[in-house]
Amino acid sequence: MLPKLNSIFMFMPVRWLGLVMFVAAASVIGAVASAQDGDTEIPDWLQSRMSLRISHRRDNGDMIALVRPLAEKVGDSVVQIVSDGKPVALGVVVSSDGFVLTKRSELSADPIRVRLGDGRLQPARVAAVRRKSDLALLRVEGLSQPLSRVQFVDDSPPIGSFLISAGRGGVPVGIGVVGVGPRRVEHNGRLGVILDEQQGQATVSGVWPNSGAEAAGVAPGDRILAINGLRETTRSSVIRILRDVFPGESVRLTISRAGQTMEMDAKIREIGVMQETENDSKINGPRSARLSGFDQVIQHDTVLNPDECGGPVLNSRGQVIGINIARAGRVVSYALPSSIVMGDMVSMMNEARGNPVAIP
Amino acid sequence: MSDYCEITLNRLLKFVRIAAAVLWSSTVVVGGAHGDQSVSTLRPGVVAGEIETVVEVHESIRQMLSRGDVPNSLEQLIAMENQQQRVASRVGQCTVNVAIGAAQGCGVIVTGDGYILTAAHVAMRPGKRATVTFQDGRTVAATTLGMNREVDAGLIRINDGQSSGIPWPHATLGRSESLRPGMWCIASGHPGGFERDRGPVTRVGRILKVRPNSIVTDCALIGGDSGGPLFDFAGRLIAVHSRIGNDVADNLHVPIDHYDKHWDALASGQAWGYLEGFKPMIGLRGSPSSATAIIDLVYEGSPADVAGFVRGDIVERFGEMTITDFKSLTTAVADTMPGERVICRVNRNGDQHRLVVEIGRADE
Repeated sequence: MLPKLNSIFMFMPVRWLGLVMFVAAASVIGAVASAQDGDTEIPDWLQSRMSLRISHRRDNGDMIALVRPLAEKVGDSVVQIVSDGKPVALGVVVSSDGFVLTKRSELSADPIRVRLGDGRLQPARVAAVRRKSDLALLRVEGLSQPLSRVQFVDDSPPIGSFLISAGRGGVPVGIGVVGVGPRRVEHNGRLGVILDEQQGQATVSGVWPNSGAEAAGVAPGDRILAINGLRETTRSSVIRILRDVFPGESVRLTISRAGQTMEMDAKIREIGVMQETENDSKINGPRSARLSGFDQVIQHDTVLNPDECGGPVLNSRGQVIGINIARAGRVVSYALPSSIVMGDMVSMMNEARGNPVAIP
Repeated sequence: MSDYCEITLNRLLKFVRIAAAVLWSSTVVVGGAHGDQSVSTLRPGVVAGEIETVVEVHESIRQMLSRGDVPNSLEQLIAMENQQQRVASRVGQCTVNVAIGAAQGCGVIVTGDGYILTAAHVAMRPGKRATVTFQDGRTVAATTLGMNREVDAGLIRINDGQSSGIPWPHATLGRSESLRPGMWCIASGHPGGFERDRGPVTRVGRILKVRPNSIVTDCALIGGDSGGPLFDFAGRLIAVHSRIGNDVADNLHVPIDHYDKHWDALASGQAWGYLEGFKPMIGLRGSPSSATAIIDLVYEGSPADVAGFVRGDIVERFGEMTITDFKSLTTAVADTMPGERVICRVNRNGDQHRLVVEIGRADE
């Protein structure tokens, strides 16, 4: 099994990416936080230097205060999505009768609830989804009064433009700049199996470490009978089906092992994330499960948590130019531009309201 | 070639120093004042100023930028945004990807005759062949020159005869001596390596710390960015990306003055020093007086031990270097970086063995 594994990796671009790590560098924010908790370990001079340092950051208090009026303009239209009691994403109100757009792949568990701009927590249901853009349309239930909605503006700010990510109630969650103009981002989602074909049947000959296949318990020797209930027997047809599944999505595998048939759900993961070292993983920080495979995204450098995706992205004039769709790495956040968002929004609202729709 | 060949970096820097004074004190700008005109690719027949990166700084933000302040109004924020858009439109043409063997980093062209500043750990060793890739995917051949490993500064030059006599697009040089915390800066580079469909990635942040051998910013960097440029808001090169810590605001850059100070040594292909915490070692001991590089001792658990070196082996080759005695082996190891994998040839009782050693750190 191992030699096979290595031969797979040899087909990957072998890069010794030039960047030396300073693993010993302490997290400055962490140190200051503990100092505020009454920890007297840190000397005063160091504390003042640390807070000075924080005060010079791009998204320091002064900068946040400066852009706050822009975020406040849409504050009532930004909601927090709560899935099974945990905040998982932000959302954008797109109709006064309670439709909300958010990031679909974060809605992993019921019940779905929405915390509105004024703090009320309302139940919601998923009204429509779009796999390609990873958008979901939620319907907020039990509303006693209309919500205020955002107006999307189809604008593509040039590289170097400021972007402000707005949070619930008009609190800016981050400031960044456009790093790369709108472009398509392919995904490299993998189940994490090495497949052979024995007597016309796809057979697992190896399982990648840190893969969804490993987590699901797929083992060498397993024969794949079906994916998502569809009978797929040959190696090439299995690979073709799996290619169409995005990172963060799951597949149901029907497997034959030692004469027994079993079913298991396995998650597709981005190959780069699967193969990265522990150190790389720390450096990148928490990322979205679905972080690639978009027809068009604006890449920016705003530092976001995965649960801060799904909210609106504003330009320096305060116009909503898109929705944050993924935290993809230390230097990468992705926003779906308004042009993509508006198309999906209209078709999903039509679908939810029972109007005839042309499925894209 | 062009008359740029005659100008050393030192001279260029002195020239820029005068220009900088002008730039800050009045609206007169040196070089390209056509800020809105983006020069994305090398065009034949352009004059020197247009292939550089300097842009005029708008009067309304000049004082704020020189103090390292934040804008005091949304109007000033927009003026600043305008400025960073103009700088961003110019930095891509001189930001290059540098590939040496399987490793990828970045570099920034600083002269019309093709000198490229990079990180020492990207250039690795003097005299190595490098492939330089421009943002549009064009590639040229280059050769590594010197490196000051104490601060992680390296120099590369594009081989002659590839520019059709036209100066390469290059960065306008700034100074790092007057930088202070709070100042805004613009980073470019190829995070994760070169991607044709993406090109270089712009980031904007601020200087958090100024130290003699490095400056710290919150321009987030990652593997592949090393050697890439950091600019001020006038489009002048102030530092080169070097390394990062875990926190997203721990991004270290080599101040540009180090290149100026050691220009002659770097340009003549000298390599010296090591970065604190990155001294290479493999864990062998031998006698400096013996006629061959015969191993007296292999430290247990050392990289050499892991690679399979044993006492009595005579090292004959270490990477590209022919080893004649223990001193030449020591020199060859000093020319590597921790983490690098080096193929070695040893003579063991008359038989030749091939061993691969991963260079360790002396302080671990």
